[in-house]
Amino acid sequence: MSSPLQQVTSQEYKYGFVTDIESESAPPGLSEDTIRMISAKKGEPEWLLEYRLKAYRHWLTMIEPEWAHVKYQKPDFQKIVYYSAPKPKEAKYKSLDEVDPELLRTFEKLGVPMDERKALAGVAVDVVFDSVSVTTTYKERLGAIGVIFCSLSEAVHEHPELVKKYLGSVVPYADNFYAALNSAVFTDGSFVFIPKGVTCPMDLSTYFRINNKDSGQFERTLIVAEEGASVSYLEGCTAPQFDTNQLHAAVVELVTLDDASIKYSTVQNWYAGDKDGKGGIFNFVTKRGLCKGRNSKISWTQVETGSAITWKYPSCLLVGEGSIGEFYSVALTNHKQQADTGTKMIHIGRNTKSTIISKGISAGDSSNSYRGLVKVQPKADGARNFSQCDSMLIGQKCSANTFPYIEVQNKSAKVEHEATTSKIGEEQLFYFQQRGIPMEDAISMIINGFCKDVFRELPMEFAVEATNLLSLKLEGSVG
Amino acid sequence: MAALTECCLLSELLAAPRPAEWEVLRRSAEARLQAQELPTLKDEDWKYTDLKALRETAFTPGVSAEVGIAENILPEAVGTRLVFVNGHFAPRLSNTSALPPGVRMLPLATASAAAVSLGALATPESSDIFANLNHARFTDGAYLFVPKNVRVEAPLHVLFLSHQEGAAATCSLPRLLVVLERGAQAQIVEEYLGRGQYLTNAVVEVHLHENANLTHERVQRESKDAIHITTLAARVDRGARYVSRTLSLGARLSRQTPKVRMAEEGAELELHGLALLDQDQVADTHSLIDHLVPHCSSRQLHKTIVDGRSRGIFNGKIFVHPGAQQTDAQQQARSLLLSEHARVDAKPELEIYADDVKCAHGAAIGQLDPEELFYLQSRGLNLETARNLLTYGFAAELLAAIPVLSLRRQLRRAVMARTNASELEVLA
Repeated sequence: MSSPLQQVTSQEYKYGFVTDIESESAPPGLSEDTIRMISAKKGEPEWLLEYRLKAYRHWLTMIEPEWAHVKYQKPDFQKIVYYSAPKPKEAKYKSLDEVDPELLRTFEKLGVPMDERKALAGVAVDVVFDSVSVTTTYKERLGAIGVIFCSLSEAVHEHPELVKKYLGSVVPYADNFYAALNSAVFTDGSFVFIPKGVTCPMDLSTYFRINNKDSGQFERTLIVAEEGASVSYLEGCTAPQFDTNQLHAAVVELVTLDDASIKYSTVQNWYAGDKDGKGGIFNFVTKRGLCKGRNSKISWTQVETGSAITWKYPSCLLVGEGSIGEFYSVALTNHKQQADTGTKMIHIGRNTKSTIISKGISAGDSSNSYRGLVKVQPKADGARNFSQCDSMLIGQKCSANTFPYIEVQNKSAKVEHEATTSKIGEEQLFYFQQRGIPMEDAISMIINGFCKDVFRELPMEFAVEATNLLSLKLEGSVG
Repeated sequence: MAALTECCLLSELLAAPRPAEWEVLRRSAEARLQAQELPTLKDEDWKYTDLKALRETAFTPGVSAEVGIAENILPEAVGTRLVFVNGHFAPRLSNTSALPPGVRMLPLATASAAAVSLGALATPESSDIFANLNHARFTDGAYLFVPKNVRVEAPLHVLFLSHQEGAAATCSLPRLLVVLERGAQAQIVEEYLGRGQYLTNAVVEVHLHENANLTHERVQRESKDAIHITTLAARVDRGARYVSRTLSLGARLSRQTPKVRMAEEGAELELHGLALLDQDQVADTHSLIDHLVPHCSSRQLHKTIVDGRSRGIFNGKIFVHPGAQQTDAQQQARSLLLSEHARVDAKPELEIYADDVKCAHGAAIGQLDPEELFYLQSRGLNLETARNLLTYGFAAELLAAIPVLSLRRQLRRAVMARTNASELEVLA
């Protein structure tokens, strides 16, 4: 097929700028001193420092995992800056006006709805810049109905009993190599608490950005929905273009009690490196939700388009009777990107249900793997899972892999898994073109159709962003 | 004899003098074995299968024994049968009088090493400790050769019997090598049976040259105390067609590792399996279908029925190499859980490096459909009969296509007995 698209011209990474603001950083390297320093900087209580040190000591005994279907130069953990904060001009921001205007311009460029005008969009935003939460909007309005939405460091001071109760309750510090590292050095993140019976009146959102060249981002998010509460949470990520790799090792923990629900949506567009695979973010993230209460629900939706390496398995522990886990994912890889992503659905309680819809698109020289686990434990009577993992290949140098693990130990369980691999049909394209629709648009429409089952799970503005993002990412690589 | 530890299993076997034939194959395998250990649950390929039973049993190399095979004779294959007992050729039980001219069916020990490329297909699997063990110390095996454009009507029946005599568990390391030349056509029945406590560790190699056509029934009916491990390495050339059905009914622990290379364009493969398990049985199938070139098609259907405290494991990988365009590969794994304590682990994998392909896999684990049960009950069957009938039907799908009538009947009866559906015998 001859087409102008044949030439692989990639869309430049439009979030690749560096914001020139002074930052206050720890020297590179990791030791107990670094951890004490981070803890001291944040004025943390003793128990949290102990928690960090415990995690660090355990981390030292762990080996970096190699089972994922990705190849990369392992990061040198002694060269990473574990703490980098935009240097405050004053001790603490009281209003947006006090924030460094450079920083605000950065977020303006990113299109983060942070000021009043944008707040009309009805989104409350917590922005994490490198490691420190810069500002949280809409706090008061949320506070009036008992919703707590703030940075994790703030929560440590203001709601220590809640943080102490839930931090590490879903992802223990010894869970895996990167979770242990995060537990030792996490700097900030978001904390959300929705009290009993409250439906959060607006979508909550956090924007993560890595700005410092050598810094890693180790944010930690904790969301708790009490009985009958519900919330929809959005997360977006970008980073500037550097030709070195940066590490992003986050931990996200969700807890739902009886009848509560959390919907967690991510659009991940970390810098993916250039088209020869130089630079880019290593995205090694542990995300897990605990459906603790009866009939509770956790739904993960992710659009993964960025990062040089992605290693991410948002999971659900379905403990409460009748609880529901969902995972909707679009993962797009291009050039030299490698993604090994999927989910784990662990059915522990009776009548638990899970749905997995995963769409992988690989182009260029990239490798895109779905890896998932559906496990039905002996007591999970009536457990039900449906998984659908489709892959689309664009070009002859990429790969698409599916590694589902299915473990069933209960005879009343019903588990189904389907996967297909295909390419954009020449006949489909011909049909579009015959109707006067140009090739680029046709491809974009076909891909959107391919991802529709996932996109319709996204909140409105994210769905629009995701659609655009896919077209941008694939521009010029289809033909 | 004291219980052998894992190292002892190897060292015991390797301590025996190395037979003179196939020395190169044996030596290279021995060298590889030096660096290998029995896999544990930490090895991804053995994640679900514990070799504790193998580790804790002392095995002594099997010696030939007198056994009867009256009930295992297939009337269609009266004059095309080779029998091995404990890994040794049993000439009195074998009969190859009805072979068409040019077709060879003989024990490897009597074949000329120069003329037979033994190990050509299975040695690339050097990381497999069990294949290496067999290479290093196999006693004997069958060599089947069908020359160019010859079509063998009678099924070629190869029977591997194991028979534990005395107290110690025995161990046999049999082999099977099948070569079909261009345009040749044959049916093979490869069968494992036995009594007592023993280990069968077999290596099977199948090479189908251009346009050859082979139907290969593989029946594993080992004793319930046995451990059965088979490595199958097959290569399918241009336009050739390979149909393989593996039925695992016996053994306490069984492991099938079929690896098929779609080596030339237009090759076709059907690789099916059925594991019917109860009590404490464990059956593990690890298959690899390697699509190396364009325009090949493969179909795989693997069925597992688990009852009692048994465990079924399926890990099937379809690998489409760069450039293998127009590959059409489909894989289905279906499992039926019949009891509270049974367990199924499935891992169907796709690894695809070419864009213009049609690949799909599916895995379903569940129980009998209540609506189907209701339908049968509405027709007057009681619940138990309905259940047995559906269970039998689930298993029998794979038996229906077996071309050797007497074998099909035998297996149907065996499956009926296992699914308590004997009253349905009329269907056989």
